[in-house]
Amino acid sequence: MRRYAPLTKLILTIIISIWAILFDSPAILAGVAGLQLLLLAITRVSTTVYKGILGLVMFALMLAVMQYLFGATISLALVTGLRMLNMTLIFIIMLASTRISDITAALVKQCRIPSDYAFMFTAALRFIPDFLEESKAVREAQSCRGYSSRGNAFKRMKSYLTVVEPLVLRAVTKSETMAMSLELRGFGSQRQQASLAHVALHGRDYILISLTTLVTLALIINKLQPIGF
Amino acid sequence: MKPAIEFNGFSYAYRQDKLALNNIQVSIPKGSFTVITGPSGAGKTTLCLAIAGAVPQYFGGSVAGNVQVNQTDTRNISMHDLALHVGSVLQDYESQLVAMTVEEEIAFGLENMGMAEHDIQERVRRVLQRVGLEGLEQREVSSLSGGQKQRLAIAGVLVLEPEIIVLDEPTSALDPQGAVQIYELLHTLNSQGVTVVVVEHDLSQVLSYAQQVLVIHEGKLLYCGTLSEVLPCMIDYPELQTAMPILWQVKLQLEEALERKFADWRSVEDAKQDIVRFIMQNKGVCRSA
Repeated sequence: MRRYAPLTKLILTIIISIWAILFDSPAILAGVAGLQLLLLAITRVSTTVYKGILGLVMFALMLAVMQYLFGATISLALVTGLRMLNMTLIFIIMLASTRISDITAALVKQCRIPSDYAFMFTAALRFIPDFLEESKAVREAQSCRGYSSRGNAFKRMKSYLTVVEPLVLRAVTKSETMAMSLELRGFGSQRQQASLAHVALHGRDYILISLTTLVTLALIINKLQPIGF
Repeated sequence: MKPAIEFNGFSYAYRQDKLALNNIQVSIPKGSFTVITGPSGAGKTTLCLAIAGAVPQYFGGSVAGNVQVNQTDTRNISMHDLALHVGSVLQDYESQLVAMTVEEEIAFGLENMGMAEHDIQERVRRVLQRVGLEGLEQREVSSLSGGQKQRLAIAGVLVLEPEIIVLDEPTSALDPQGAVQIYELLHTLNSQGVTVVVVEHDLSQVLSYAQQVLVIHEGKLLYCGTLSEVLPCMIDYPELQTAMPILWQVKLQLEEALERKFADWRSVEDAKQDIVRFIMQNKGVCRSA
């Protein structure tokens, strides 16, 4: 997957998401999910990605159970869980196999998205580790002042407010500083934005895009005029 | 020597009710190492932001007088263009790091300037060597240590090759060893011709490097001069005494007790030599008596 251009992976993400909507058989959806896991294994990603996927699988399972408990059939419950899993799996594969700057460059250069919006995407991802670290620091600081995450769900939610409040304030301050520093580093100037990223499409990209697009078109046609898929 | 930065009767208020800076009149020579000090809330950060043009261009507010960088009024040049002359490292330098990897972070400013890819790579390589981060190009920013992040923030502005670099409390979040390394780096840059302006609470860190010290208090410029001119005056202000290096507190007390002037003590070594010289001289006096 790493050899494919970011745009190809972006398109593939959209295509797999469409497939997840078009298919309504749990077996086929499970097959697509299996295929994606195989793709992930070939891509060789870090163990943290697998941990994240395990969390996703648990969430999908929970979603299916909830659906079932609220009156859906087993088949529909499974389809809902698998759809969510398929849509998120491909997104994770894309993120794990592509540099964020390359995704941003593809969004700007090839999808013609204004660089400001594409930058927002990069910046949001860049600050996730910082945000988690700060959340840990605030939790620790608040535990010294009596914060506890024990008790029933309502109690926990109420006490978590003491963590959320300073966290939000810090995030706002950080974003203000960041906005100013961006100005100081020439972001948003009228000059033509350059990029170190290489995002050009190659033969293999065109083949993959064409094949998956054709399959998707066939699936859509089949959905509109069933011929037996 | 022509000044790199000039404050001409500069006053500034974020809002109408209180002046953050009050009639600042000072000149910072080209190639100098200038340290700004003063108690919290004195206006040191505002002074730095005024040099970078963020005050008043980004924050708005009311202004009197002007700030000139290389003889150009900072209000007559956009912040983007001013960034080519003045590199700013903010107090919260971590918020200044916006890219995922070290290489992308350093290249960010150059990409904004629309520079060609080959030139970007060449400049990134050069600046990585300059700040001692070579080999870490592909490292994720979030995995760096505090000192490395500070170096990266400096590299991010240095890559634009500004003549002036302004740093707001660059070592406040660093351990003593990291602080020494950062100041050694700044000293090297200064010796290469870069004008360095640093905000620092603890003057003992900059004793060896500072050529000019500005003391700001309640928005006003209280003192401006060399260490030997400024430090003895600071003793009169209790809120400024915490910034006084212990070495100089000892020196001033010795001078008062012995009624004798010592040379500038920029390091413990200087102090040792001076005291030994004094003792030897006194021995001579005792023997001749």
